[in-house]
Amino acid sequence: MKLCVFMSEYRSGYDIVKRLEAEKLGIVLVGNSVYHAASDNKAEHCMLPENAELYVLAEDLECRGIETAKLASEFRVVTYPDIVDLIFDEYEKSVWI
Amino acid sequence: MGIKKIAFVIRSMPYKTEVSKLAIAHAIASQTAEIYLENGEIVEPVLCFIGDGVFNCIKNQHSMKHYGVTSIEQHIKNALLLDLKVMICKEDLNKSGIREDAVVMDAAEMGGESRSIIAPYQDIQKEMNSADHLMFF
Amino acid sequence: MGKLTIGSFSSPSGTMSLDFAIKLAEAAVNKGHTVDLWLSGNATVLGNRDHKHFKDYSHLQKTIKILLDSGRFQMTICEACADARGCKKDNTLQGCRRASMDWYLASCFNADRVILVGDN
Repeated sequence: MKLCVFMSEYRSGYDIVKRLEAEKLGIVLVGNSVYHAASDNKAEHCMLPENAELYVLAEDLECRGIETAKLASEFRVVTYPDIVDLIFDEYEKSVWI
Repeated sequence: MGIKKIAFVIRSMPYKTEVSKLAIAHAIASQTAEIYLENGEIVEPVLCFIGDGVFNCIKNQHSMKHYGVTSIEQHIKNALLLDLKVMICKEDLNKSGIREDAVVMDAAEMGGESRSIIAPYQDIQKEMNSADHLMFF
Repeated sequence: MGKLTIGSFSSPSGTMSLDFAIKLAEAAVNKGHTVDLWLSGNATVLGNRDHKHFKDYSHLQKTIKILLDSGRFQMTICEACADARGCKKDNTLQGCRRASMDWYLASCFNADRVILVGDN
């Protein structure tokens, strides 16, 4: 399956997402999980599955005072309209964790 | 016409919030969804308890006695009575120190015939793969 | 164009999860999709009319009204969850429906995509 996972928490849910299996896995960081994208500490990024496409919601970054220019290169910044396209065009199922 | 399978994956612990109870209530509601559907259209639910969600499955809950609310155990039994597929993650039971004989396995006293399935995570992953839609609670 | 069914049980005040749900619905409708929004648990409070707008709390009803007027958006609250919270039928937002949980499952049956936005 092509699975899009919305992560909304900074610390919890990572045990669940780490063992999800999907032929294509997308992780969209929203809410407080966006702090992972801003961290200089690579260990923070390691909490996310290695094989996943990583997205981070622009509105939630800006809301928290995080500049998109400072993000690690593996994160693609997306907006709500982009998320709609991810849900309909790129992935078959979506879950919120 | 057709069947749409929905996997209700419960990872939340019981009682502090109503999340797990809502999950089971929504899964049970699939049994009457046909009133809004065409003939032959069926919603097939499967309830999967993973992670901390396995704590919901411990039997001998007495929330009615102490707080006047229906127990999660009762909700699971209602699901089994309606022949919903109930799966409990074996690895997560072990990880949480819950014995397999300590979880809700049937609703025999209510006349139910279905039994919970204590399954390896891989079997639950297969259910998620084959479901049309996933809901994590 | 497709149909997206969004479910949520999050409180409209005190968390931002419903903000996400409404903004997602708005983006989907603006792209020409249809959206069913199902609210159960604490989220049913969003179905009350006349929420007062304090700037410390998000105010979603203006957007909801625009979405309802678009004709491509339905908002339905769980009747039992609403009744349990004292949210009465005669105080329900105009255009917002009340139904039992099976409505949501039927909406999911006919949806191209489903997302349940969690957090209590």
